[in-house]
Amino acid sequence: MTQPAIETRGLSQRFGDFRAVEDLNLTVAEGEVFGFLGHNGAGKTTTIHMLTTLARPASGSARVAGHDIVTDPLGVRREIGYVPENVRLYDTLTTRENLTFFARLSGVEDASDRIAEVLDFLSIEELADRRVGTFSKGMRQRVGLAQAILHRPGILFLDEPSSGLDPMGMKMLRDLIGRLNREWGMTIFMNTHLLSEIAKSCTSIGVLNHGRLVFHDSIDVVMKRYGDEEALEELYLSVVPVNAKGEAA
Amino acid sequence: MTALATHAMPPDRAVARQSLLYIFRERTVALLAALFVVLVMVSAYLGWSATSTVNSIYNDAVVYLTAQGQPIPPNPVHDISPLSLMRNMSIYVSLIGALAAIVIGYQLIAADRKSGVVPLIGARPLERGEYLRGKIAALLAANGALMSVAAVIATATFLILPQVSLSAAGWGKLLLFFVLAYGYMVMFGLLALGTAARTKSESVGLLVPVTAWLTVTFILPSLTGNIHPTAAINPISALAPPPDTTFFHWTGWLIGPFSVAESFKWLSADLLDYLPATAVTGSMVPPLPDFLLALILAAAFAVHSVGVMDFTRGDYDV
Repeated sequence: MTQPAIETRGLSQRFGDFRAVEDLNLTVAEGEVFGFLGHNGAGKTTTIHMLTTLARPASGSARVAGHDIVTDPLGVRREIGYVPENVRLYDTLTTRENLTFFARLSGVEDASDRIAEVLDFLSIEELADRRVGTFSKGMRQRVGLAQAILHRPGILFLDEPSSGLDPMGMKMLRDLIGRLNREWGMTIFMNTHLLSEIAKSCTSIGVLNHGRLVFHDSIDVVMKRYGDEEALEELYLSVVPVNAKGEAA
Repeated sequence: MTALATHAMPPDRAVARQSLLYIFRERTVALLAALFVVLVMVSAYLGWSATSTVNSIYNDAVVYLTAQGQPIPPNPVHDISPLSLMRNMSIYVSLIGALAAIVIGYQLIAADRKSGVVPLIGARPLERGEYLRGKIAALLAANGALMSVAAVIATATFLILPQVSLSAAGWGKLLLFFVLAYGYMVMFGLLALGTAARTKSESVGLLVPVTAWLTVTFILPSLTGNIHPTAAINPISALAPPPDTTFFHWTGWLIGPFSVAESFKWLSADLLDYLPATAVTGSMVPPLPDFLLALILAAAFAVHSVGVMDFTRGDYDV
């Protein structure tokens, strides 16, 4: 049996008295496309920050690609790619200059060949020598994805990847995620608000409510139980109660 | 899963290279660097011009005195150290040089924060120390480039001027002056690098080192070495002793260690041979240890600030 791509045990994060993530126990198998669903402020981004070693957990532990996030952060970082919610790069530099920098930081030896390969994979060769500051949100998102996969990481973390994208951009991104999973064998950990994206892209789903994992299962099980993707909303509302103001209770 | 254990280019070098590429495209940095270089050239020209004028007048006087059968006095150009021709350089270093260093140091970190790439860097396989080393290397390189241009101009001035020639000891003192000036600029660069990493607000990140520079350059010297507010930028009046009152005695002694511009000015005057033999420092800490201590503290501040920098966030609050 292969080791899980991601495994957390009692993972918690606090900011003062606020408990952002509480006792998170989660396992994501290698090769999965995991959708992490939750309301604003549920703790999804905080969880990604801990798993990508950007922030130390207050308590608990986690292993990413077999590496402990606290004791072996460099080991984790060698195995992951990360695309934050609002991808931002050096605006005054070109796509190629940005990617060259991130390739070097990731230890890619044949940076120019790898950049050409990634630009081709994402169909953005025409953006290579243009300054990033002139790009639309969709273009920026693809360059953001490019910087995250340059070193061919085993696990890709995406924080609200479809945020702000038009339907065409969302479809393109979904296709790319599928190809990265199928063709490059990447495990995908994706934060999202969008139930439709979960239904179309993910192989398993976790729901976070006020820092606590309230649901975790494979999408097949969910579909069998709830029937179709519209019913995901029913599932979400059943595990994340809503108060009179329409907020997650 | 893919594991990339080896680095084609060490991460600190990649950070340094990227940082230099970025800041050299920044207009503010380019403008201040150009201004600094122009002022260094002006400083060299003023030194050349002053020497040539005195020498020309002396030559005319020699002709006149010879015709009159008068004794010929020695050439006054030979009475002063040729190094003192570069005294204006210390003014420009403490003004524009330090300001350029602040902008460079600030931009090195602020560029990453404003661009929002800090989380992308933080999720890469590099240690905080490597990131810091890369930034400091970029700071040293950028300031080194500026100082090298200044040194080349100064050297050319001494080589071109026919009236002055430097001894081996003179060249050594000139080299030490440039090392000192480089250290002074790097000190402000480190301070700005630290505040850019530490502050939540973009404007505060720049305001703090600029305020420190203003205080050190204009305010503290008024209380320590001289009552004239421009003491630090005028090496001549700055070397005039302060009024011999109890107030200035104690402010000079107590505030002296914080008056780094005063220490720099003192050490510059010593190295460029225009420090009066009777001059005494009123500070409780001698200029050289004071200068070195300030440099070490600035470095420690930068190291600590990058150490506590929040890599989860890319941007400033404002």
